[in-house]
Amino acid sequence: MKAFLATARLCVRNKNDFGVLWTLGEYLLKLISLLAQAMVWCAVLPEGAAVDGMTRRSMLVYIAVSSALAPLLDVRTPVSSWLHEGTMLDLFRRPCSVYGQLVAHTAGSWCIPLCCYGLPLLGIASLLGYPPVPASPWFFLSLALCVAQGFAVDFLFACLLIRMNNLEWTVHSIRNALTALLTGGLIPFAALPWGLGRWLELSPLGTLAGAPLALLTGLGDPTRLLTAQIFWNCTLWPLALWAFRASRERMVSYGG
Amino acid sequence: MAAKIRQLLRLYALYGRMDWHFLMRDKRTGFLCVISDWFATLSSISGIALLAIRFDGIGGLSADEILWMLGFFTLADGTTWMLLGAFNNLHISRRIGRGQVDHMLIQPVPLWMQLLTGGFMPFSGNSGFLAGVILTAVATARLHLPLTPGWLATLILYLLARMAIAAGCSFLTGSAAFYKPVASEELSSVTLDALNAAGKYPLAALPEWLLTVFMTVLPVGLMAYLPSMILLHKIDAPLACAWPFAVSAAFLSLAGWMFRKGLKHYAEHGCPRYKDMGHRC
Repeated sequence: MKAFLATARLCVRNKNDFGVLWTLGEYLLKLISLLAQAMVWCAVLPEGAAVDGMTRRSMLVYIAVSSALAPLLDVRTPVSSWLHEGTMLDLFRRPCSVYGQLVAHTAGSWCIPLCCYGLPLLGIASLLGYPPVPASPWFFLSLALCVAQGFAVDFLFACLLIRMNNLEWTVHSIRNALTALLTGGLIPFAALPWGLGRWLELSPLGTLAGAPLALLTGLGDPTRLLTAQIFWNCTLWPLALWAFRASRERMVSYGG
Repeated sequence: MAAKIRQLLRLYALYGRMDWHFLMRDKRTGFLCVISDWFATLSSISGIALLAIRFDGIGGLSADEILWMLGFFTLADGTTWMLLGAFNNLHISRRIGRGQVDHMLIQPVPLWMQLLTGGFMPFSGNSGFLAGVILTAVATARLHLPLTPGWLATLILYLLARMAIAAGCSFLTGSAAFYKPVASEELSSVTLDALNAAGKYPLAALPEWLLTVFMTVLPVGLMAYLPSMILLHKIDAPLACAWPFAVSAAFLSLAGWMFRKGLKHYAEHGCPRYKDMGHRC
């Protein structure tokens, strides 16, 4: 545990690779995107009106929490870039588990975005009259399951990257394309046409951001969503561990 | 002048050939790259399109009009990417911040000509352009817009203005990498991502002050919304119609000035990013 915490602490300090300008730019980008989404919800949902349980207020809370907790709702370990640049090899030389090191690095890298962007954003949302108070206490369990499942999904994408001979940008594009729509982080499943959301909310990607955010805003059935999350955690973790172990011999890095 | 145009065309042909060879060298990888680009392009606009279908339009625009706006956005972004995207020519802060302007300065071709042609990737980078053409054509047909030569010329002019704004913003912020190479290496990406993240949304519900910001210093409203409103005949005030061209001229001028100024600084100080062993620090 000591080694785990030391690695996480190191990553908090190490997060700012490109400096303050880049970090501020990233936050500005998130804010602009959030403003644009808020604008759309204000345009489609008049104040006081409810469409299939969605109100303007619940949707604004949904997108604010989705933006604030983005690192937890869409877990990205550094494994993909480390495979590409060769840092991955160092992890195998240390007397700690590779998975543990990756989890520690990732958890450490959450601190700055959560403290400098997530918490202030939730504070501002509360001041504006949109406090992110969960409609169901199951939200917290769902969030924990979402984070656990997020690590498994990330390891599976790393295995895909190894299989595709380190085509990092290609895998990154495919993953971004999938997560933008299929995780429910951008648009609540309840807002999708043709009843698509009923199917997507139970999918392995849909139970990531979609489940906790639906429980936060009271748009989802806790039993249905938590069962799906537990099922996917039990399925994806063994699969990820097996796939990662099977991919070890195929790892190729550029280094430098 | 004629010699310069001939040289430009030769360079476009050369970069086009290089792009073709990139795709053909490893067909499986090339195919995967193209497919992932198509996937990313369609996914980036599908969210707002699905919302428009679900709520039968957004902010006073019908679902078909939203589709047209998304088509314009995809077409403009895809064209910009196809013409300027390769070798980080559009994400110029990466080249500057990594000290790679040296590589350009030793070429026997003017810098502006390299910047204009070096990003051309007609085969591997055409997904956004083709998707944009298809989406715009489908939406145009559904809306029964009259296809006159004048309207098509206006469409091309607004596409060019939009490209100039995106490139201008990228070069304007990217020029900071001449002074702070590490801290500013990704500034062009952040700028372009910011423009694209909000640029595909209809802005009708914005408060006046934010709309002003989005039409001037942070011109996300000129990425698709205002040009679409003009081309869909929803706005016809002369000032509004001329505004994208004025902003593009302003951004290009400012970016050119900043870039030249930064280049002078670079000529004196260089960019010491590489160690003797070749590693970038």
